Amino acid sequence: MPMLDIKNLTLEIDTPMGWVSALDKVSLSIDTSEIRALVGESGSGKSLIVKSIVGAIPERWRVTADRMNWKGNDLLGMSGNQRRAITRNEISVILQNASAALDPSATLREQIEESIPSYRLTKGWFWQRRQQRLDIAIQELHRVGIRDHNLCLSSYAHQLPEDICQKFSIAMALVSKPKLLIADNPTVGMETTTKVQILKLLTKLNKTQGLSVLFVSHDLLAIAAMANTMTVLYCGQTVESGSIEQVKRRPLHPYTKALLDSAPSFRRDLPPKSPLSCLDGTIPTLQHLPIGCRLGPRCPRAQRECVKMPATRHIHGHSYACHFPLHRDKP
Amino acid sequence: MLIAIARRLNLLIITLFILCLASYVLAFLFPGDALTNLSGIPALSADQSHQLQLMYALNEGWFSGFWTYLKLTLNGDWGVSLNSQTPIFEDILKLLPASLELSLYAMVISLVVGLPLGVLAGLKHRSYTDMSILSVSLTGFSFPVFWLSLLLILIFSLQLGYLPMSGRISLLFDIPHSTGFILVDILRSEMPVKDAALFDALRHLVLPTLSLSIVTTALVIRLIRRSVVTVYASDFIKAAYTKGLSHSQVFWRHGMKNALLPIMPQLAMQFTVLLTNAMIVEVIFSWPGIGEWLIQAIYQRDFPAIRGGMLAVSAVVVTFTISVELLVRILYPLNKRQFYAQT
Ligand SMILES: Nc1ncnc2c1ncn2[C@@H]1O[C@H](COP(=O)(O)OP(=O)(O)OP(=O)(O)O)[C@@H](O)[C@H]1O
Ligand code: SF4
Ligand SMILES: [Mg+2]
Repeated sequence: MPMLDIKNLTLEIDTPMGWVSALDKVSLSIDTSEIRALVGESGSGKSLIVKSIVGAIPERWRVTADRMNWKGNDLLGMSGNQRRAITRNEISVILQNASAALDPSATLREQIEESIPSYRLTKGWFWQRRQQRLDIAIQELHRVGIRDHNLCLSSYAHQLPEDICQKFSIAMALVSKPKLLIADNPTVGMETTTKVQILKLLTKLNKTQGLSVLFVSHDLLAIAAMANTMTVLYCGQTVESGSIEQVKRRPLHPYTKALLDSAPSFRRDLPPKSPLSCLDGTIPTLQHLPIGCRLGPRCPRAQRECVKMPATRHIHGHSYACHFPLHRDKP
Repeated sequence: MLIAIARRLNLLIITLFILCLASYVLAFLFPGDALTNLSGIPALSADQSHQLQLMYALNEGWFSGFWTYLKLTLNGDWGVSLNSQTPIFEDILKLLPASLELSLYAMVISLVVGLPLGVLAGLKHRSYTDMSILSVSLTGFSFPVFWLSLLLILIFSLQLGYLPMSGRISLLFDIPHSTGFILVDILRSEMPVKDAALFDALRHLVLPTLSLSIVTTALVIRLIRRSVVTVYASDFIKAAYTKGLSHSQVFWRHGMKNALLPIMPQLAMQFTVLLTNAMIVEVIFSWPGIGEWLIQAIYQRDFPAIRGGMLAVSAVVVTFTISVELLVRILYPLNKRQFYAQT
């Protein structure tokens, strides 16, 4: 049984034009000690999925799902307290835009210390606990590669550069020793060596402590290097998911293919100076969503049937939602 | 930080200086003799007039004239009132505390009532609670102060007869003047009927304070509600919840601080609105404060008094505003860019 199991998650948000479903029947599952990548272009709703999982969305938005289970317990049905207990002890999340997710009027020390779960504090007296909290915080900061812990802990979020804030958020997410880490673009904008450090750390935690990761990113190379499985999202719909090798070798959905082709460094066979490929047009806005398969207007293979939402089909753990998948129609 | 303090102090001094300059120039722009406008003494004989000219250094050019005026002003020699021939500065010192007292109590009430209601409305954004608090505050906000005061007098003093309609305290009590704040004065005095006097003073305070504070309470509610709504929609509150903090932990550790600190200057600004409204209320309730005095002076074309009163009131307002801003700057660790963008 997967640890996190989401089936047909639909998120409706109210815009000035009325209610629109920003996420439409999204399915996603994460097994124990699996690294799953979630990819899709900007505005496809990756962050919305992350926020729906941890409940960080405005109360008036409507979330419905056939299943949204954490270790067999329904996340949507449980009380706020139960849900917070899970996010405190078992799931950690790094929201996109790390510095905005930090309280501007509290020092980073206060913020990381309040994330330390009480079971990590073994000492009895409060001054001993105080010291222990500080020690844990420092240790955690060193792990993500923040050397100058004193400066970092005594600063406010706005005083530090964005990449330190990102690393700090990662440290803060890891301090509670979660089972699942949800990281929304954790390495965006970092320079390569720092990025590799972070990716290495996550991989190591995955290998040694069985940490599962939901890794949201635009960085296909990083994903190919560390993830086991990947889910491709387009405009609030899951279009394809499967193991990295399967998806990379034989993308079934036209969007996945376009996405993979659009990353030149990802294609070994690309001759120098050949034209780069990409899909025409841009992702539709929430106000102008096409009916049926949302890729329709941009899809090179679209036909009349595509105005109906294609059902998700599974072959060997590889699933896709398309009426006319690639590779399949050849005899 | 030191630079910020220095900047504010600089601003304070320059503003006060400009106020003095303006009040000096006014004396020449007002109708009548500039000398009379400055001193408040109607020139009787050529000899007296000459003496005054020497005192204000009027014939030594405008610069040394102003310099002399500045020195006199700082020494507390603001001339005398045309009508009563009493020194203006002492009058103001006696009357200003009464106005400040009234505004202060109204401010305290506005905050005590407005803060919880505003926070509640903000937390329950778009619910019925929010709507009702908002509509009540909108109603309160739309009352003209003078109309509200008259209405309150009509109901509580004339119809029901519960509360007195004018003055600070019944004439039966003779309160020695020391601080000018009547409640403080009563408590410090050694009267045999202290309790009765205190009760009477409180009864006199109710209606003016109420009519002053209703409008400000409405404003405070709206300010705080907006701020709470913005803060609660922000990412860091969501992030605090995902850390597993409870509602009250998020509220006390992250919510309140971020909602209140940025609007402190605006909240403090309400005090100056109060002071302005207090002038109207003072006239209606015959409250012996600076506002009533100033308006009397305007009626009687008592130019020295008008000049002094305006100088005093604006100096209080400016000093207050700048000190609050400084205080917030010390408390609130925002970077400069954000800070200037906000104010
Ligand atoms: N608070 C909001 N109110 C209204 N619409 C929103 C809100 N947040 C997101 N959206 C919309 O939902 C869609 C998905 O946004 P989301 O932030 O999930 O994209 P994303 O895949 O994370 O993009 P990126 O890769 O740039 O982070 C976008 O069209 C966006 O405009
Ligand atoms: S269902 Fe149709 S429009 Fe959608 S991806 Fe497949 S071929 Fe393209
Ligand atoms: Mg995003």
